[in-house]
Amino acid sequence: MMGILSANRVTKEFLPGSGQGLVAVHDLSIEIEEGEFLCLIGASGCGKSTLLNMFAGFLQPTAGQVRLRGEPITRIEPRCGMVFQSYALFPWKTVRGNVEFGPKMKGIPASERRRIADRFIELVKLKGFEDRYPTELSGGMQQRVTLARVLAADPEVLLMDEPFAALDALTRQVMQEELLQIHESQRKTTVFITHNIDEALILADRIVVMSARPGRVKATVANTLPRPRHVSIQLSPEFATLKAEIWRHVEEEVRKHVAPAE
Amino acid sequence: MSVPASGETESQTVSTAPHRDRTGWLRLRLSLLLQILSVCAFLALWGAATEYGWISTIFLPSPRAVATEAGKLVGTGELWQAIIASSRRVFLGFALAALVAVPLGIVMGVWWPAKALMDPFVSLLRPLPSITWIPLSILWLGIGESQKTAIVFMGSWIYILLYTLESTKRVDPLLIRAARNLGASDIAVMREVILPGALPGILSGLKVTLAISWSCVISAEMVAAQTGLGAIIWYGKDWGNLALVLVGMVGISVTVLLADLVAERIERALLPWERHRRG
Repeated sequence: MMGILSANRVTKEFLPGSGQGLVAVHDLSIEIEEGEFLCLIGASGCGKSTLLNMFAGFLQPTAGQVRLRGEPITRIEPRCGMVFQSYALFPWKTVRGNVEFGPKMKGIPASERRRIADRFIELVKLKGFEDRYPTELSGGMQQRVTLARVLAADPEVLLMDEPFAALDALTRQVMQEELLQIHESQRKTTVFITHNIDEALILADRIVVMSARPGRVKATVANTLPRPRHVSIQLSPEFATLKAEIWRHVEEEVRKHVAPAE
Repeated sequence: MSVPASGETESQTVSTAPHRDRTGWLRLRLSLLLQILSVCAFLALWGAATEYGWISTIFLPSPRAVATEAGKLVGTGELWQAIIASSRRVFLGFALAALVAVPLGIVMGVWWPAKALMDPFVSLLRPLPSITWIPLSILWLGIGESQKTAIVFMGSWIYILLYTLESTKRVDPLLIRAARNLGASDIAVMREVILPGALPGILSGLKVTLAISWSCVISAEMVAAQTGLGAIIWYGKDWGNLALVLVGMVGISVTVLLADLVAERIERALLPWERHRRG
């Protein structure tokens, strides 16, 4: 069976002139199943963001193909909704205006749009903040707006590029738990980038460890922790076993990255 | 007295928030008081200098003489007529310049061939002060209203264009990417992202240019006009009436200041999302 989203022997090389001329991703193949929550984990600079940007159609692969439902992705693909680490909210729109953006682009009438927006604003627990502007909100709240905005646009796949990296540890934990609940109720296919093993184990069905530059798939680990999950799963012995296994794969790559001369 | 007071507020700004609000309020009041004192002191000094003959009134009329002259002009209605005449010329020339330059600047910002076509003219026209257009504009348009409007237009449009171009190009590309990812078409990106994203920069450009428009109209009026604040100044100069010159100068200052206040209000109303940041 074919997955909903796939990368087939993808290479991405940034040419000199538009950077330093480096191979960010090399001959990488990956297959994402419908409804799956996949975490990509790896040291910084392993090409995980590059891969995600190719799935969104922001970048084109140098060789190979990325496909959504079997069709090659050749331009910015609204069916792959991106959650940016830096939120990318429209500062001139209120919370409601931001969340309504996707439905508005689809030509959904105003009253229906408002209903959709209200539903997702409630889902991310921002009821009462509909008329605020993004600059009036904390980082955690802004990231919730981003999540509501992308969910309201109803893409087939959610792409999340270290969405909680800019948040403090406590807010981050709360956001993980809420994302867990949202995913378990909506079952939307999700590709989530992180460099945090705990985060990957809490959220994912499957964890792909990427090698240091050039990015390749180093290992794939099925996350056998039961669902529905709660962040307290971090205290279980199975969690510790899985964490040790992933760390074994990651450690080598991190060391390579930290001391590339050896 | 003011020195220890300001030192005190400095040390208090590091304390708790309500405290800071209170000292902030106090400082605002104090600052207003100092401003008024400063103006009064200046007027007193000026008055004394002319009254006691430190400066001859041939070179500088007394504040009393200026006030009397202003009173006369207000009485005959000439001052209002002058302000209205100048304001109308500024408004027409400025509005026309904005109407042409804002759309053109946006098109140049998003579509490079337009920029390439316009760039040489922008580079060549920008260094020309608006008064250099006076001979040609008189030849083409005579010395009526349209000539004054044209001078304001020529002195303003290029600045509006450059501000608009710059703010259009500075719209965060990440937001454009996000909009496309949410399904926005080219037209929707323009309407929903580029226009509102560039708006704050365009408006502050218009505000800066409005002051430039005023200096254009005054120079046009000083060369050839029967009415307007610039004409008052030139008339005063021709008849050796320095008080009248000063009335014209103060009239310009006050009018431009008021115009700026109105522009500020309009800007705030158009940018509700910036209110929070500006406080």
